Amino acid sequence: MPLQAYLTLAAVLFAIGLFGVITRRNTIGILLGIELMLNAVNVNLVAFARFHADAAGLVFTVFTICVTVAEVALGLALVILIFRVRGTAVADHLDLLRG
Amino acid sequence: MTDPGPLALLAWLLPAAAFLLLGVAVPLRRSAAAGWTSVLLAGAALWAAFAAWRAGTPGEHARILWEWLPMASGPLATVGVLVDADSALMLLLVAGVSFLVQLYSLGYLEGEPPGARGRYFAYQSLFAFSMMGLVLAPGFVQLFVCWELVGLCSYLLIGYWYQRPEAARAAVKAFWITKAGDVGLLVGIVLLWRHAGTLDYLELLDLVDAGTLPLAGLELITVGIYLGAMGKSAQFPLHVWLPDAMEGPTPVSALIHAATMVTAGVYLFTRTIWLFAQTPEVLAAVGWIGAFTALLAATLACVQADIKRVLAYSTVSQLGYMMAAMGAGYAAAGFHHLLTHGVFKALLFLAAGAVIHAVGTNDIFAMGGLARRMPQTAIVFLVGTLSLAGLPFFGGFFSKEEILGAVWVGGHPVPFLMLAVAAFLTAFYMFRVVFIAFFAGPAPGWATAAAGHGSTVARGAAAGHGSVAGHGPTAGPAAPGAHGATPPGGAAHGPGTAHAHDAPWVMIVPLWILALLSVAIGVTVVPHRAPDFEAPAALPWVAVLLSLGGVALAWLAYQRRAVDPDRLGRALGAVRDAALERFWLDEAFTAVYRLAVLGVARIVGWIDRYLVDGVVNVLSAWTLTSGDRLRRLQTGLPQDYVYAVALGAILLIAWSQWAR
Amino acid sequence: MSLEPVAFGALAVLLIGSALAVVLTKNLFHSVLYLALMLTGTAGVFLLLEAEFLAAVQILLYAGGVITIVVFAIVVTERLVGERISQTSRSLASGAAAAVALLVAVLAFLRDAPLPAARPALADDLTRTIGLRVLTDYVLAFELLAVLFLAGLLGAIYFARPDD
Repeated sequence: MPLQAYLTLAAVLFAIGLFGVITRRNTIGILLGIELMLNAVNVNLVAFARFHADAAGLVFTVFTICVTVAEVALGLALVILIFRVRGTAVADHLDLLRG
Repeated sequence: MTDPGPLALLAWLLPAAAFLLLGVAVPLRRSAAAGWTSVLLAGAALWAAFAAWRAGTPGEHARILWEWLPMASGPLATVGVLVDADSALMLLLVAGVSFLVQLYSLGYLEGEPPGARGRYFAYQSLFAFSMMGLVLAPGFVQLFVCWELVGLCSYLLIGYWYQRPEAARAAVKAFWITKAGDVGLLVGIVLLWRHAGTLDYLELLDLVDAGTLPLAGLELITVGIYLGAMGKSAQFPLHVWLPDAMEGPTPVSALIHAATMVTAGVYLFTRTIWLFAQTPEVLAAVGWIGAFTALLAATLACVQADIKRVLAYSTVSQLGYMMAAMGAGYAAAGFHHLLTHGVFKALLFLAAGAVIHAVGTNDIFAMGGLARRMPQTAIVFLVGTLSLAGLPFFGGFFSKEEILGAVWVGGHPVPFLMLAVAAFLTAFYMFRVVFIAFFAGPAPGWATAAAGHGSTVARGAAAGHGSVAGHGPTAGPAAPGAHGATPPGGAAHGPGTAHAHDAPWVMIVPLWILALLSVAIGVTVVPHRAPDFEAPAALPWVAVLLSLGGVALAWLAYQRRAVDPDRLGRALGAVRDAALERFWLDEAFTAVYRLAVLGVARIVGWIDRYLVDGVVNVLSAWTLTSGDRLRRLQTGLPQDYVYAVALGAILLIAWSQWAR
Repeated sequence: MSLEPVAFGALAVLLIGSALAVVLTKNLFHSVLYLALMLTGTAGVFLLLEAEFLAAVQILLYAGGVITIVVFAIVVTERLVGERISQTSRSLASGAAAAVALLVAVLAFLRDAPLPAARPALADDLTRTIGLRVLTDYVLAFELLAVLFLAGLLGAIYFARPDD
């Protein structure tokens, strides 16, 4: 398959992830959407790495995965904390920054 | 020959020293010595001015200059003194009259509180300094500065009794009207500087003589300068402030509004006639307006009942004479009349002041037969009147005849006619005052409310007593439009004076000096000045006849009562009524002020409130509203921010696509 | 006919389907499970791209670790709530519009981009290369990553402490 196919796939996954982030009400749901987007990025990177025969893309992907893991862990810890404090995990209620 | 320059400078600065002394040393000003300080320094200034006059050589001038506003192309303004024949004479006049008036004031203002007296003498010294600075000015800048200073002093002195609302109003009116003229003067000066590059008299004279002064645009300049003279020298229509200025003390009227300040305009013309000679149309207009002013004021003087107002209108009329001579192109004639008029008008005012001081009222119909009680005053007043009426052997005769001759030779028949009629009226109204106030006894038609006594003494006392006490005669029925303006109680000679009498020596001596000067000038100085034109030989006879005719009419009407002034007045019907209303000029000025000044102010105010403020208010309102609306974008929800980021990313990609 | 396009097509369908399921399912737990499926599918795509090491890492960390964490989180919050968390979505239209717009933008970009057409030859031991590159060219990033993990660990401990 040509490179465009893989890149198109990644783009579609990214768009779906974006859709999820914007529309989901639950905070954890939003985090899942973020996962999708990051995953799409990984696919993109690995595709490029293969088609340019450059291992740097793969190294970058490893890093991305690691960072994502850390972010998910902490993000969920935050969600639980918010839940303890505010009593809700619905993102609509987290509007303290409202202008 | 000693140099007149430093002497003139000394004469100029001595009154300034007096002003500074009285201004700074408050205990001195509050003491009784304030007046004597000012008088002594004024006397010293007179001596210096006299010495400067004697030291001068005809045809030569002395100049002392200091640079004031230096510029690369020569100084913009210089201060100093320029002493030539004209300015030395004028300086002598100013110093002389100033000294005599201040001496006189020592007696006239005896009853004033010391603080106010000190203030008066300080202002008198300031005025003397300013007027001398004007006279000695070497160029237009010092002239203008001193011009304004003189106007300020006039305001301060007219409003000396500022607690009286009429006095305060009169002071402001004088200031306003002369200021209107001064704007023209300033514009003229600025334009002249742009035109010629210099404001020094001698340099400008050189330019004119060399023919290098460009003529285009000079008319505007001369008109501007004339406007300043119009205001200060009370030409029609800017003459309305001078009668009102009589609210000030009589010595002030004598000094400022007879001899010196009002003549500043005429003096300016004397100084700069060579400039005006370049614009003959403007000069012709000056002559016409002068002659018309002379006639107008003479008619107004015929119906006044306040002695000071008669003299005020008379001054306006004589100033018209002087300007008419200027307009004919013969500045020397006008200047001579300025000198003689300064002497005898000051004399008349001071004598009138003595009368007012003694009787307690300005109303001539409340006086009568004063010649018996105040002989000296009557004599000097008569001397002044004869001079003003232009009868031979008095100074006024020669100068007035010279003016008539100048106007005739200059080829202006209609102004000449106006001046001739004015000469007739001048004699008439002055002798009207003389007969009513000094010689005539009480007449049936002039019965006063406190009538009963045939004795003029008691009538004078009753009049004095009655009017000061608030009720009583302010005018007889035959004297319409009388102004019963009396000086406030503090300056009057006191209620209940049993008899009018001649004034104390400080007041009488200046009167005699001025009277003698009037005659002396008439007999010695003026006849020897050869005018630079040939007047027709019949002219002196015509002038004398006119004057005698006026005297005769007055005698018939007021002394002999062969002619009823009432019927005479009715015969002239409309003119008399108009004269009583001062030809509605004051109303016209008020209307112009309301319409123009206040109207413009209202428009400007509207623009400021609704347009200028409106713009600012609209902008601020928009800022607030848009801020309020934009605030709602910040929902605080993180998903909305993600949405915004996504939009931004899309836009970036799209832009990068199209930019290719 | 090569196997690769078929495999690619199947995986693509799987991935897109499960992704859609993740974002559209009402039940949160089911969403997570679909996510697990999607992550595993991604590992398959990596295999297609001859990045075996990465496929392994994907399954280990993502499908294993991340899913576990998310499941724990859901369980904990469900316990706190006391009921099953079901969620509705908000403003589907604008979200879809943004997503589609982004997709179109990227695809338009891709259409004109100069991309290599064929796969070049690969070095033999990709894993070895990755390891070497990590520890030589990108060692700074590697160390920073370690610091990041430390920070995350400390943060998690801090968050997890009891309230007193």
